[in-house]
Amino acid sequence: MPENTHIVSAFDKDLAEIQNKISEMGEHAAKVLTTALKAVKKRDAVLAQEAIDMDKVLDNFEEEIEERATQVIALRQPMAQDLRVLISAIKIATTLERIGDLSKNIARRALYLSDGGKIKITGSIVQMGKATRQQLDSIMTAHKSLDSDLAVEIWQTDVELDEMYNSIFREVVTYMMDDSRMIGAGSQLLFIAKNLERIGDHTTHISEMIYYIVNGKPLGDERPKGEPLGFRAED
Amino acid sequence: MTNVKISNRHVDVYYGDNHAIKDVSIDILDKTVTAFIGPSGCGKSTFLRCLNRMNDTISSCRITGDILMDGEDIYAKSVDPVQLRARVGMVFQKPNPFPKSIYDNVAYGPKIHGLVDNKTDLDEVVELSLKRAAIWKEVKDRLNESGTSLSGGQQQRLCIARAIATAPEVLLMDEPASALDPIATAQIEELIDELRHQYSVVIVTHSMQQAARVSQKTAFFHMGDMVEYGDTTEIFTNPVDQRTQDYITGRFG
Repeated sequence: MPENTHIVSAFDKDLAEIQNKISEMGEHAAKVLTTALKAVKKRDAVLAQEAIDMDKVLDNFEEEIEERATQVIALRQPMAQDLRVLISAIKIATTLERIGDLSKNIARRALYLSDGGKIKITGSIVQMGKATRQQLDSIMTAHKSLDSDLAVEIWQTDVELDEMYNSIFREVVTYMMDDSRMIGAGSQLLFIAKNLERIGDHTTHISEMIYYIVNGKPLGDERPKGEPLGFRAED
Repeated sequence: MTNVKISNRHVDVYYGDNHAIKDVSIDILDKTVTAFIGPSGCGKSTFLRCLNRMNDTISSCRITGDILMDGEDIYAKSVDPVQLRARVGMVFQKPNPFPKSIYDNVAYGPKIHGLVDNKTDLDEVVELSLKRAAIWKEVKDRLNESGTSLSGGQQQRLCIARAIATAPEVLLMDEPASALDPIATAQIEELIDELRHQYSVVIVTHSMQQAARVSQKTAFFHMGDMVEYGDTTEIFTNPVDQRTQDYITGRFG
């Protein structure tokens, strides 16, 4: 935020309230993801269901942020950075809601996995889950203090999640080729890894929003990305 | 995109000891609406009034630097300020129709400047000006009524008709809609958008939204300095100078 305060102090309050709502929403999205990941790790149907139920709250957050931002735009006619904060608030809320949906999807797959026996490969997924969760936490920190440099750093390091996904993909496919009884569970794991990779992409979208709020121009689309995947297990 | 109509180079304005405008250089483009914004006392109206020598009447006022319209120095000895003001029209904050008929309000300029030869031509100029000012339909059956009998918004459009009756090249507007209701304001803004196809329009306004709506170029003035000048979309979405940012977002500067 610019260091100077508005002459109309209620305007500052409105903006702060919306920024705080986004922080809250981010924390909640992180909780949904963590619960879903725990469910995967422990093959726990109760936790999985919990994560699925928690996601509903994110829809309310999104609606509330959208409504407040629209009201402030209508009532205060914001300009420059103020306007960017509000437009980005709407987009970030939508992004966090999608992150919630993807986490919910992970929980659904955990529900499926909870029926079966132990799967060796889950370890890498848990690792990737942790990294994703960390990335989500970092981006919410960057958002709170409008730290454009941190946002760019996260934007650049997302490639690590891409690479983790690629390696899990190879691992799981190899595993399924070895033992065709594992194809059902393996497919679920592939989707979980893909969902995590998508969550990573969404955090980079939030990076772009933060950069836009601070600098007033788009970050560009030269983001480093992982190599595209082939369909063979080993290249 | 467009060419320069009025070129201002290193313009300084003093009222006695008061240095009101400090080294301002700006090109006013043809067929473009340029908005001057800034807090009260920043010099935007003073600068606007330099462009048609309205400051000449203030004896303590001293202007240095160059103001060239189509390359000609408007402060040259050979330039008649009255003739200049026919080329650079002005509309003020408060509608100020002459206490004459609607017709005579518009006919006055073309008559004293000898722009028409006969009554038929004059009728035509009056009708065309009132039409361009988007007020013809409302007054065509009452042209002999007094200009002061009109509503505020109509009076302002009448003043615009009067200003464009002399076929000016530049139209200066000093807070032209600040005394009007939102509907009359919208009509004036619509009119400004129409006018820019023919004229170079410069508008001073305290309403940032109005500046954003009607202008293509915006200049921000602060304490006699022209802080920033650029495309209106840039000034209002991503200004370069912190003072501009603070002003347009309603913060203490």
